[in-house]
Amino acid sequence: MTQDKSNWQQGAALGSTLAAIGFSVLQGLPNQAMAGELEKWDVDAAVLQYVESDSRVQATEAVLGATRNFNSETQLNFKLTVDTLTGASPNGAMPDDQPQTFTRPSGNGRYTVDANALPLDDTFRDTRTTVAVQWSAPLGRDWTYSGGLGYSAEHDYESSSLNASLSRFFNQKNTTLTLASSMSLDTISPEGGLPIGLSAVPEWSSTSFDADFDASRQEGSYADKQVIDVVLGLTQVIDRRTLMQFNYSLSFSAGYMTDPYKLVSVFDQPGGIVQGYRYEERPDSRLKQALFWQTKHQLQGGDIIDGSYRYLFDDWGMTSHTLDLKYRWGLGNQYLEPQIRWYRQSAIDAYQPYITSAQLAENPEALTADYRLGDFDAWTVGLRYGYRFNADTEVYTRIAAYQQLPRDFASDTTPANSGDLPGMTALMLTLGVKF
Amino acid sequence: MLWLLRPLSTIRLSRTAILLSLVLMPLVCTQAAEITPASQAKPAPLSDTVLPKIGGGELSLEQLQGQVVLVDFWASWCGPCRESFPWMNAIQDRYGDAGLVVVGINLDQESKAAQTFLQKVPANFTIVQDPQARLPEAYGLIGMPSSYLLDRQGRIRATHTGFHMGRVAEYEASIQQLLAE
Amino acid sequence: MKIWISLTLVALLSGCSGIGVKPWERDLLAQQDMQLISDPIEASLDDHVYFSKEGSSGGRGFGGGGCGCN
Repeated sequence: MTQDKSNWQQGAALGSTLAAIGFSVLQGLPNQAMAGELEKWDVDAAVLQYVESDSRVQATEAVLGATRNFNSETQLNFKLTVDTLTGASPNGAMPDDQPQTFTRPSGNGRYTVDANALPLDDTFRDTRTTVAVQWSAPLGRDWTYSGGLGYSAEHDYESSSLNASLSRFFNQKNTTLTLASSMSLDTISPEGGLPIGLSAVPEWSSTSFDADFDASRQEGSYADKQVIDVVLGLTQVIDRRTLMQFNYSLSFSAGYMTDPYKLVSVFDQPGGIVQGYRYEERPDSRLKQALFWQTKHQLQGGDIIDGSYRYLFDDWGMTSHTLDLKYRWGLGNQYLEPQIRWYRQSAIDAYQPYITSAQLAENPEALTADYRLGDFDAWTVGLRYGYRFNADTEVYTRIAAYQQLPRDFASDTTPANSGDLPGMTALMLTLGVKF
Repeated sequence: MLWLLRPLSTIRLSRTAILLSLVLMPLVCTQAAEITPASQAKPAPLSDTVLPKIGGGELSLEQLQGQVVLVDFWASWCGPCRESFPWMNAIQDRYGDAGLVVVGINLDQESKAAQTFLQKVPANFTIVQDPQARLPEAYGLIGMPSSYLLDRQGRIRATHTGFHMGRVAEYEASIQQLLAE
Repeated sequence: MKIWISLTLVALLSGCSGIGVKPWERDLLAQQDMQLISDPIEASLDDHVYFSKEGSSGGRGFGGGGCGCN
């Protein structure tokens, strides 16, 4: 409870500091100029509270966006996001019929998990701040471009990014072709340093713990990752009420892709006895590609249907389908928008819920038991309500439930029942204002 | 630095500079006021069509012959139109006595949207409505907003697609040229 | 793969030349609610959740639609 209060307090403190800065700048201007300047700004602010069931992850995210409109097509956007995260997350190990003890990622402690309980690591407590700036402007009648910078930092992760896009209009602006790209440079400096992939997780109770822990560490305390994204998109006006978009996107990442905090359980045989744990290791490059299609259609009464589908595949062996549907039901100056999303993911090749000693002896190149790369289906059901005071001012709220349902892992060597794999249910509440 | 000591080259340089500006000047000048010559100009289409005025009454463009007409096609949902109104108000004031009539032709499908717009962005020039979009179709409009300058004989002498605050000097120069005819 | 995508785009572009609306018929498309990403803040909050909890990310694009003015 106290953790929640301090998150909200932090958010409120940040908000009032930003408002104070804004006002003091404006007070420097004469009244009419100030009013004129304010008119050119659009502000968007929202707070999201995310809560998982069973005392797992809880996060609060506050976003403040401000756009300065130079004219109807030229704008400069600033965005500040602060999110705080607390709570427990699955560490990758399987439940066992005996209690299990795990060393904390930092090596400075341990935690115990009950028999038959899903192992969760509650070390995570972090605040991340992100700032971004984005400029968009036209180039003649037929082109428009956009460019931006972003930076985010949290105690063990830092990311700097750059993006640029170019759009060309055709057919009296009924058709738009867009090429967008972005690049990010990330650095991870995990607590306890970087574990050597697939090395043994030291046992807390062992007399040689300190030596074991040091033996499991890589040289250096940080690692890098670079990501390049390219999206080629075609937007087409179909008729007065319908708009469609088709995108092809490519994302290439290289560097340290492993999660340094995740483990894999080693069993002598499926359903057997836990032999120990290993740190996970992921390949050092990943190429993802996706095809995306979205349609927006306004019905006769003014209601809007928004549907989209994304098919993603990558060189780690994963494929996923995402289907998203929203229906905006307009009621005068209010609206109600039910939303539903279905997501189906099939595991990457290097994913296994656990490993056997025999397999380990064959020296696999990559191995992860992180449920987020496994086989699962996910559903999101949401409802958004908004009230518009006038064309420029709106308050809205949205409540959504997100559930992940793991599927049985069929395998000759390491089968697992969905009941033993981490599922997840989360509730999300968003409050926002635009003016 | 040696070229500074050669007066002959300097003279050649200034001659070239003068020649260049003489060649370029007409280009620059014509860019500032791109008007179709009267001999090549076509008469404005559908000038006999009667359109309802927003304050009441009717108007057809042929009634305005003898004056320079700025025909501006706009709609309530068009952002640049909002930016163009203050300028159109200003030039109607400035050149009204010289014979300029600004006519804003609204293309909203519902007149209520146009009226709400005009309450927030007032116009001191004539506004008429063409909800069935007969005129823009005939004019061959390719973007919103679009303005057409008609000379005193009702011929289209200039077309501007889109509104850009940075180009108002250009627009104004064209108007002045036609008023002088 | 890339050749197929380029060919599809070219075909779509040329096929698309007849489809669309007149510039004065974009009243509904100009509405904020009719933009492909009508609420960028909600989209970024959702993206963050799904990026943290799933193995996929991205896919959405930018640009197009709207009033088509200027």
